[in-house]
Amino acid sequence: MQKILPIMLLFLTTPAHAMHISEGILPFSWAALWFAVAVPFVALGIKRLNDLAKDDLSFKPLVGLMAAVVFIISCMPVPVPTAGTCSHPCGTGIAAILVGPFVSVVITAVALLIQALFLAHGGLSTWGADIVSMGVVGSFAGWFTFRALRAMGASLGVAGFAAGLLADWATYATTSLVLAAGIRGDSPFLPLAGKIVLAFIPTQLPLGLLEGAMTAGMVMLLQRKRPELLVRMRVITEKELTAHA
Amino acid sequence: MHHFVRQPALDDHPLTRLDARVKLLSALALLLMVISCRGIVFPLLVAGICGGICLSLGVRPRVLALRFAEPLFIAGMVLVLKLFFTGTEPLFSFSLAGWEVVGHRDGLMEGVRIASRIAGAVTVVAAIGFATPFTDLMAALAWLRVPKGFIEVALFAWRYLFLLLDDAQVVYAAQKNRLGYACYRRGLRSFGTLAGALVIKAFDNSQNITTAMVQRGYDGTMPLMKHRPFHVGEVAVALLVVVGMGFVWSL
Repeated sequence: MQKILPIMLLFLTTPAHAMHISEGILPFSWAALWFAVAVPFVALGIKRLNDLAKDDLSFKPLVGLMAAVVFIISCMPVPVPTAGTCSHPCGTGIAAILVGPFVSVVITAVALLIQALFLAHGGLSTWGADIVSMGVVGSFAGWFTFRALRAMGASLGVAGFAAGLLADWATYATTSLVLAAGIRGDSPFLPLAGKIVLAFIPTQLPLGLLEGAMTAGMVMLLQRKRPELLVRMRVITEKELTAHA
Repeated sequence: MHHFVRQPALDDHPLTRLDARVKLLSALALLLMVISCRGIVFPLLVAGICGGICLSLGVRPRVLALRFAEPLFIAGMVLVLKLFFTGTEPLFSFSLAGWEVVGHRDGLMEGVRIASRIAGAVTVVAAIGFATPFTDLMAALAWLRVPKGFIEVALFAWRYLFLLLDDAQVVYAAQKNRLGYACYRRGLRSFGTLAGALVIKAFDNSQNITTAMVQRGYDGTMPLMKHRPFHVGEVAVALLVVVGMGFVWSL
């Protein structure tokens, strides 16, 4: 019974914003550790942002608006039929594809800060942990997947789908591990982590597929309607744009 | 979402008028005390005080309940998880569909401790969120030496968030009226299109904003809000509150 209770608990799931680790859930030591992990990535992201903004004055406004888009996307309730509930995509996959993983970490940090302050999604004390799971792991998983598949000749749609899917799943896997480490107390880590992963699966498995489909839809819409934006963000080359036209 | 974010606080409330830097530092000190506390009384005391502050700021109880619904749900889930899956000292047991479920006393105590920490921390952040405009908070972060690039991006995001949100609502309503969410597959496609349209709007708006800002002298950096000098009285009261709470925390 102890093994199947997590599965039963899933059916209690409300419209959950479970991507974010809630305010106060991590004790001081873990909160501080995740801040220490997140800070270098955010610092590198800001350096990259400043470098790119020197050549293009519109880059900072663009990154700000992308942060607003990620904020809105990660607040949109998406119905998850297998769990009979709603969850939300993270949106970091598409941000990483368009502006690169380091700047995507900054975008995520900004979106998470606004959500923590004004929506109680995530929190200030768990900001570091949320940046690591959603910003660092989500962005890098999405970006590497997209770039690797494009290098192997995959279409934009396929690469976008895989990037969105893996960014989402990697985020949830990290969230589960961070959460288990933070709340385990004197209990063994792995069994609790396994139960948390198990508890996320019915919602997040289909949600990852939805996020993949959404990311692919977004990339393909950009390719169809505004391919020059993809060239500007170095997602496709001029040659590919000409071939597509 | 507007409902949550644009909830106004009373302008004449003493906490609203307080220097954002003092509020931010006091809130961070309280937050640190809450998450490093090993008992349950202190976080619940903080939750009570900060919940009262939110109500005195004019925040409607319904808005407050909606704001706290998600973290409190998570607190409840953690409590159940700890009660049944951690601990060694049996507190109660019952049979469910032929399986024996055991609740543990030490698991329950640990769960209550985490739940109280969540309640305390969430109310601290809610209180500062309701009492301080975002621009003032960003200026306070800049004073704390948070990199300017980060602050600028956050200010751009905040400024254009509501614009994009309005656009998203218009597109969503149009899609819904045209049965864009009538079935699951179509809903998924509509959602992808909506998100893609937002990205396109973000690109277009960033160009227009830059053009308008360059015409007004933008050179790549934005001027940030200047702080007035600290008021000795404000700082003294904040210090008194933090030291007092620190004393309670240490008990």
